[in-house]
Amino acid sequence: MDHARIVFGLVALAAALALPYYAGPFWTGLATQMLIFGLLALSVDLLLGHAGLFSLTHASFFAVSAYTVAILQVRYGVSTALAAPAGICAGTLLALVFGLAVRTRGVYFILITIAFGFVVWGVAHRWSSFTGGDNGVTNVPFPALGGLAVTSHTQYYYLVLAAVVACGLGYRVLIRSPFGLGLRGIKASESRMRSLGFRTGLHLYAAFVLSGALASFAGVLYVYYNKFVNPVAASFPISVEAALMAIIGGTGTIIGPFIGSGIVLGLRNWVSSFFELHLAVMGAVFIAAVLWAPDGLVGLAGRLRARMERAKEAGRP
Amino acid sequence: MTSAVLQAINGVSLAALLFLLASGFTLSFGLMRVVNMAHGAYYLFGGYIGLTLAEKTGSFAVAIVGGGAAVVVIGFLIDRFLIRRTGENHLAQVLLTVGVAFVIGDVALALWGGDNLKVQAPAFLRGAVVLPGEIYYPMYRFVLIFFGVFVGALLWLLYHRTQLGAVVRAGVDDREQVNATGINVDRLFVMVSGLASFLAGMAGVVGGAFLTLYPGAEWEILVYALVVVIVGGLGSLEGAMIGALIVGLLDAYGRWLLPEFSYFVLFGPIALLMLFRPRGLFGREH
Repeated sequence: MDHARIVFGLVALAAALALPYYAGPFWTGLATQMLIFGLLALSVDLLLGHAGLFSLTHASFFAVSAYTVAILQVRYGVSTALAAPAGICAGTLLALVFGLAVRTRGVYFILITIAFGFVVWGVAHRWSSFTGGDNGVTNVPFPALGGLAVTSHTQYYYLVLAAVVACGLGYRVLIRSPFGLGLRGIKASESRMRSLGFRTGLHLYAAFVLSGALASFAGVLYVYYNKFVNPVAASFPISVEAALMAIIGGTGTIIGPFIGSGIVLGLRNWVSSFFELHLAVMGAVFIAAVLWAPDGLVGLAGRLRARMERAKEAGRP
Repeated sequence: MTSAVLQAINGVSLAALLFLLASGFTLSFGLMRVVNMAHGAYYLFGGYIGLTLAEKTGSFAVAIVGGGAAVVVIGFLIDRFLIRRTGENHLAQVLLTVGVAFVIGDVALALWGGDNLKVQAPAFLRGAVVLPGEIYYPMYRFVLIFFGVFVGALLWLLYHRTQLGAVVRAGVDDREQVNATGINVDRLFVMVSGLASFLAGMAGVVGGAFLTLYPGAEWEILVYALVVVIVGGLGSLEGAMIGALIVGLLDAYGRWLLPEFSYFVLFGPIALLMLFRPRGLFGREH
């Protein structure tokens, strides 16, 4: 890691730590959302950026874990210490089932994950005796662990920040491990990896489950922030937006999904303050991103830097 | 027993509608390798245009043709100026067309509002038909089955018995080769995507007369169409027919036997197929 990146990381971390003091509750809330959805986008990007699989079902894991936490805490009075891990387990179990999708590739994988996502949304929407239907489950408290309890949104922001930094570091270790290299090998050429003796199907399945677990963790963070969960959390737009965040920010990076999440959420907040058709605006962003920034902003920055370096070299005698 | 028969008819008539939508989706994938997620939005938009036309003119036939034609125009513009630019990158196509669907859905919400609206069926299709065994069934949905079979037969004949169909089949197999023999593939694409758009818009009018039209209907129907093409195999007309029947019947019985989990019933066939035939019943390597 070069010095510039360490300095950048420390400055960003300092800015994030000081945020509640200079930015006020609105921006702190938006930053919390940005971190949570950035984490969801990061989980999508483990498959998209490293394994080359485009999943559109990640809202399912996100929502199933959020519902599990909400139902356990609100209806059965279970403590955070049990409800949060149970949420992650529930989402991961679903990922173990949906992981079947890695038997397919390309378009089929995309279409099947879309269909899976709608199954979960349909259950959340129609099984109203258990999920609360369209109203969902409300009055989820802040998390409390033993004697320590989160009591304000600012405190919760710090909790989310800590969780996200920890996940980011863990993710970094994962993608630099032989496992992560294997994934990128499969993305580049699956047949070659197979002939080298890798069990590529199993490799992708493991990545799918890990990615589902990470999305489930984001779901836990989401439900404690949001205080309620309804079928919207499981809906298709959440899955697509998570993918869009990763793509806008730049796939295959760690910071990219978070930048993308900041851009998408910031834009939506700004647009919905004066324009009713904000879903149409999101649609326009999708279109623009595909047509003009297919590698995302991180990719765009990389291209610009490469061009500048080339210019510099050309300028040398 | 009577309900079981009723559900079977319900299932087949839903299958007829699903076939209208899924056949266009599967044909445009087969020939152009385009995954158009805006197909559901085409359905909804065509339905709304048909609704307005039916109110203005009082004619269901005008509504069907007008709804289909409006989608042909929109579909052509989207195809030419947006989808064409993604090349064969499916990921980009999916994101782009989802974006298009969001835009269409939101504009439709602004124009037609958020209520459930029903396209007015013609007078001779209202009321009930009495089937053997004293079963009363809505005339409209009963006739829809025959309409679905009729369109399916037309498409099958077009695909397998005409020169145009032969060229399209050749294009599905090997596009470069068709181009090299001097056939204008570009014009062929415009025609097939126009046909797909027309089918989607027409399905919207037909479906809007019994499923009603509302914001979000575009995604609900799209998922059914997706399961149809996943089960049947992408790019296969016969697959779309069989897939539509399977999905329609499963849905009808699912709604009847497990109302809260009717969506979940759709999961079964996909999961089974993935275990044994990941490419669907009639699908090939893509």
